[in-house]
Amino acid sequence: MKAEAQVLKGHLDTLLLASLENGPQHGYAVKEALRAGSGARFDLPTGTIYPALRRLEAAGLVEGTWEQADGRRRRSYELTPAGRRRLAGDRTAWRDFASAVTAILEPAP
Amino acid sequence: MTSPLITGYVQGLHRNLPAALADEAADGLMQTYQHHRAREASDQEAARTALAEFGDLATVVGEFTRQAPGRRAARLLLATGPVASSCWAAALVLGRAWAWPIPDTARASFGAVLLVAALALAAAATSRHSYQRTRLAAAASPLILALDVTAVAAAGLFAPALTWPLCLAIAVSVTRIAFTARTLPHLAAR
Repeated sequence: MKAEAQVLKGHLDTLLLASLENGPQHGYAVKEALRAGSGARFDLPTGTIYPALRRLEAAGLVEGTWEQADGRRRRSYELTPAGRRRLAGDRTAWRDFASAVTAILEPAP
Repeated sequence: MTSPLITGYVQGLHRNLPAALADEAADGLMQTYQHHRAREASDQEAARTALAEFGDLATVVGEFTRQAPGRRAARLLLATGPVASSCWAAALVLGRAWAWPIPDTARASFGAVLLVAALALAAAATSRHSYQRTRLAAAASPLILALDVTAVAAAGLFAPALTWPLCLAIAVSVTRIAFTARTLPHLAAR
């Protein structure tokens, strides 16, 4: 379980970028998208999503904007062009890696 | 009406983080809490589940601290310290800087400011749980900028010749001046 959390941490940036691919989302929606998309397997502490999004923003991969919702300030994030390029690169790298591992692990027919 | 557990946690966020970060995290916590309230959990039950799901305060503050711009800037400036110091040491020895007409008080002041700035940067760079401590970088950065400007100006005024170690030292300092000047407004804002 601990090993899986470490692996997840290594891919967190890519997963966050992927969850923003279809449009702007706020932190809680991003966390829910990760949880739902992974069949509840990736259930990160919600509070750790926000620092990660801030890190991506500082790197110029996402852009955050404030809005008002339920009488509170809420910050939404969307991909920047650099974020889209990074996601495309990460996706290609992951597919190559996954197909190579699968080719080794799956028994030949 | 919100649970006292949630209110206490939100107050903790505001005590430990800048307002913008605390507001954002607090909104996420409230959404988590409301999600569980909507599932007809009792107020206390919903608050406990939301807090467990959100992560404990120290962990959340620690994650924000590790991503703090002040911590990153302090680490970068500290990392360039040995390079800048080595370049300047070589340039000053070759240029016989001890013979330059600079008052002892000015030399001592330069050393003292350098020490204070380095200690403040070290405190900001090594902070793991205190966001406030990372803000020391905002105080130290203008000092580093002033030290680099002073060093370049002193070399321009008093160095007898433009040796290659001096050119290298000036280039390192000018790069740091540009980085610090660009980073400073962001550090001051957070």
